[in-house]
Amino acid sequence: MNRDKHKASGLTEADAMNDLRLSAARKRLAESRGQEDAIDGVREIVANLLGSEELGLFRVGQRSTTLPAFWSFGIDLEGYDLLRALGDAGLERVMRGECHVELAAGEHAGEMGRARAFVPIRVANQTIAILAILRLLPQKLDFDGADMELFKLLSDEAANALFGPGACDAGADSRPVTEGPGIRA
Amino acid sequence: MTKKILVVDDSKTALMMEREILERRTTYQCVTASDGREAVEKAQQERPDLILMDVVMPHMNGFEACKMMRQHASTREIPIVLVTTRGEEAYMEAGFQSGCNDYITKPIDSAELIALLESYLGE
Repeated sequence: MNRDKHKASGLTEADAMNDLRLSAARKRLAESRGQEDAIDGVREIVANLLGSEELGLFRVGQRSTTLPAFWSFGIDLEGYDLLRALGDAGLERVMRGECHVELAAGEHAGEMGRARAFVPIRVANQTIAILAILRLLPQKLDFDGADMELFKLLSDEAANALFGPGACDAGADSRPVTEGPGIRA
Repeated sequence: MTKKILVVDDSKTALMMEREILERRTTYQCVTASDGREAVEKAQQERPDLILMDVVMPHMNGFEACKMMRQHASTREIPIVLVTTRGEEAYMEAGFQSGCNDYITKPIDSAELIALLESYLGE
C-alpha cells in the first residue's frame, strides 16, 4: 500500500505529514503568477497549513523606520502598531532573520495568552517584509515544531514570489489592502 | 476496484495538499474541482465514491453544492465530507442540514483524514 511507503523509509507519520506540507507550500509559492496570486498563495498557506485567518504583511523600508501595512486578511490593520506588538527585542530578532513566535502556553508564551508569529520575509540576507500571523483558528491551539519549519520556508522563499527578483531594491510600498472579514487588532 | 474521491477547494494549496495525501498515502483515485458549481457537474460526470469539499468557495459554496447534490438521483447517496476552517456547533449543524455526512477541520491532519476516508470507503 502507498500509505506504508513512509514507514519503509523510516519516516514517522508526523515527518511524512510535515514533508507534504512543506512540499505543497513550496510548490504554491513557486507556481505563483504575479504579486496578487503570490499574496493569495501566502494567505492559502497560512489558512490551510498553519490554521490562521488573521494575518498581515508589513513592508520594511530601506531608509524608513516605519513598517507600513502592505496587505492584510481577516483583520483591519489601520492603526495597528507593529513596532509596539513586536517590541525592541522582537523587532531586532525579526530584522536579524529569526522568527518571533509567541506561544499560547508554555515557556515562550506571549503576554496576550494567544499564539502569534512574526515571520521575516528575507532576500539577500535582508528582511524586506514581515508576515504577522495574529490569531489561530479555535481548533488550532498553538504553534508546533512543524510550523517553525513552515515559517522558515516562508521566510526563505516567499520574497521572490511576493515582490519579484528585484525585491531587495524596491522601497517600501504602502498599499494597505484589507480582505476578508475586517476585525480590529 | 480503485475508489474515486472528488476533492473540491478553491485554494490551490489545499487542493495540492489533499491530493498529495491521497496519492502518496492511499490507493484512492483523486479528481478535483475548484468551486461548488464545478463540483456538482464533476460529481454527476465522475460518480465518485466520496466527495471531500471545502465550504467557503466562490460561485457556489459547499453547503449549496451539498444541497444540490442531494437533489440529484445520481449524487444523492455519495458520502460528502465537508472541510472547514470553522468547527463551531452551529456552523456544522448548517453543514449537516445541507446533507453532508461528516466534516473535518483545517488545518488537515493526514492521519485523521485517512482514518475518516477509510471509515467510509475501507482501505
